[in-house]
Amino acid sequence: MTTSTRPQTAIDRAPGNWRPAFSRLLANRDLRLFLLVLPLLAFVVVTVVVPVAQFLYRAVDNDLLAENLPLTAASLASWAPDQGVPGEASFRALAHDIHNAREAGTLGQVAQALNQQITGVRNSFIKAALLVDEPDGVTPEELMQAIPALGETPLWALLQSAGSRWTDFYLLQSIDLERNAGGEIINVSADRAIFREIIWRTVVISVNVTLICILLSLPVAHVLANARAPWSNLLLALVLFPLWTSLLVRTVSWIIILQGEGPVNATLLFLGIVDEPLRLVYTRGSLYIAMVQVLLPLMILSILSVLLKLPKELLRAATSLGANWWQGYWRVLLPLLSPGILTGSAIVFVFALGYYITPTLIGGPRDQMLSSYVAQFTNKTLNWGLAGALAVQLMALLLIAGLGWAAFRKLQGARR
Amino acid sequence: MNSKMLFAAAAFVVATSAAAQAEETMTAVGWGGSWNEAYDKGVFQPFTAESGVKVTLDEWGGELAKLRTQIESNAIVYDFVSVEAPALEIGCAEGLFEKLPEAVYAEKDDYLPGTIHPCGMASDTWATVMVYDGNKLTDGPTSWADFWDVEKIPGKRGMLGQAQYTLENALMADGVAPGEVYNELRKEGGVDRAFAALDRIKPHVVWWTSSTNALQNLSAGEVVMTDLYNARVTAENDKGSNYKIVWEAGFFYGTDMWAIVKGAPNQAQAVKFVEFFAKPENQAGFPKLYAYGVGHKDVEKHLTAEQLERLPTSAKNLPYSAVYDTDFWAENKEALEQRFQAWLAQ
Repeated sequence: MTTSTRPQTAIDRAPGNWRPAFSRLLANRDLRLFLLVLPLLAFVVVTVVVPVAQFLYRAVDNDLLAENLPLTAASLASWAPDQGVPGEASFRALAHDIHNAREAGTLGQVAQALNQQITGVRNSFIKAALLVDEPDGVTPEELMQAIPALGETPLWALLQSAGSRWTDFYLLQSIDLERNAGGEIINVSADRAIFREIIWRTVVISVNVTLICILLSLPVAHVLANARAPWSNLLLALVLFPLWTSLLVRTVSWIIILQGEGPVNATLLFLGIVDEPLRLVYTRGSLYIAMVQVLLPLMILSILSVLLKLPKELLRAATSLGANWWQGYWRVLLPLLSPGILTGSAIVFVFALGYYITPTLIGGPRDQMLSSYVAQFTNKTLNWGLAGALAVQLMALLLIAGLGWAAFRKLQGARR
Repeated sequence: MNSKMLFAAAAFVVATSAAAQAEETMTAVGWGGSWNEAYDKGVFQPFTAESGVKVTLDEWGGELAKLRTQIESNAIVYDFVSVEAPALEIGCAEGLFEKLPEAVYAEKDDYLPGTIHPCGMASDTWATVMVYDGNKLTDGPTSWADFWDVEKIPGKRGMLGQAQYTLENALMADGVAPGEVYNELRKEGGVDRAFAALDRIKPHVVWWTSSTNALQNLSAGEVVMTDLYNARVTAENDKGSNYKIVWEAGFFYGTDMWAIVKGAPNQAQAVKFVEFFAKPENQAGFPKLYAYGVGHKDVEKHLTAEQLERLPTSAKNLPYSAVYDTDFWAENKEALEQRFQAWLAQ
């Protein structure tokens, strides 16, 4: 701050003398900080922001259809589904497009992409490719025989959508919506609606894991903060232990412990508490246990970092003013710990949202989370549009959680 | 180090690097674990001995996305991959794979149905079979109707938590012969019929997601019977278990296919391997060590009766089977899996 208040000399102001100006510039605290984080920022942009943005763009990307079906889309420019099946010109345009796509080697991809939106048209498009050696000689009847779906309007509406470079199909599909023949957005039929349930399930699991972590962390952090030297180190090592174990080992251990003939069930049977082994593994419960075990250390450490900075006398002071232990804890300590709890919750919640290996291993089919489906559509069925759209939903959840978190912090700040 | 040694060392380095340049290599990608071991020992080592091409065996989970990114970014590291048949169908249409050498594909009549394709040939034929623990159940199930009949044989059933394979089993339980299942599924109302059959068994099912947890459920007695991949069962029996495969209930076999990656750097070597592997005696190297079949019909001649009996494609088991319809699943996989998930959540 001294530099900016230093009286300027004539030399400083002389044209061509850049040094003082530069040092003034460097003295700017914000700029210095910016320069310091610049490498990190560049790294994040190159390795995270750009690839993620590219992947998310897949959710609305319609280039494949737009580039391969231009003639068909153009011929349908003024067509509407209520006019019924379009005329011969559109059939001929389609025959040309199929011919061109076959020559370019992209027909397989096009058929695949069309099949993602209308189930059952993939093979018929590949079959039609055999017909179109002379695109102008193909009659609508021949083409319709190869692709029966051309006899109805939904496929034509889909072909018409190739006129745009963007599509909202996947984004709508990722929240169980679709467009009807009239172009209005409607709910998909109940036997196809799965994504809202999956998104909700992902949120519920993440919130519950976060809450369980808070409840378990508070007493542990308290014990850790008050333990004496050799014990406190040992306890801390125990807390950190799950973080050092491989994810697979950790998860498989839980399967062994919780399974029908595992030690937990053996003990319960031996004590006569149950008559037959309980189903503990491949349930929501076992998923919570495995996830909490991994994420708990993050919560404990966040709370501990705040707790250690608080004077130990606080509780005693509260007691001396007439509060009992519980009141002291609830009204004095807990509000002061809330920054730690909030930070821990943010970390745990965000980690939990993205879980998918643990649910795959230790959860049942009804416990699979959003990321499992992103992985499945990315890797297995190559439906990158839907994978991108589901990733958008995941980002939206993060954004909502982030906004909620910020609002909560602000509220807390205002109260203090 | 004196100058003589230095010279010797230099000569050694030059000699080995020259050898390394002359050496032909290729990277093949299988499904890992004991599958890779069996392939390495039974097929790739004899191939290297015969051709001099060194094979690096990698493993993956069949993710076409990996191939698509390698090809799109022009950084291809895989030469030769084993993919599931529906994925071969998709990848072939997308242009991710080279065509088989014509001479090899020309002999397609010597292959079992579904084990050869313009873009690939079977690396292994596996089956999802019904299995129970012979030590726990003396009077086991003999049909999929028994699997559905919880009064006849009480207890939970293990089933794979997805539409593919499960819909087929459901229709067999409903009285459809294996060979008719896909005609039924393609018919109006056929899928509804399968789901209606699943409705009846749903309260008694423990769903599994990986074959390891299916086996654990069975060995721990959480389920009395389950569907499972046949080689997993054989491997457990080799370790002393007494699991019984109910071949006669009817089963479907699927095929994983070897395919050459489009534009692969060691394409010539991969072609050499395909030509080597097209001979039945060379294909037999894999089923000798692993309870999965291969494509060529004459492979049987090179196997012992015991090795044959455990294969889904043996003369004894084949009559009870039908092949997984890759065309059907390539078109309907996403839609049906989505419906299955919705059904599961109800």
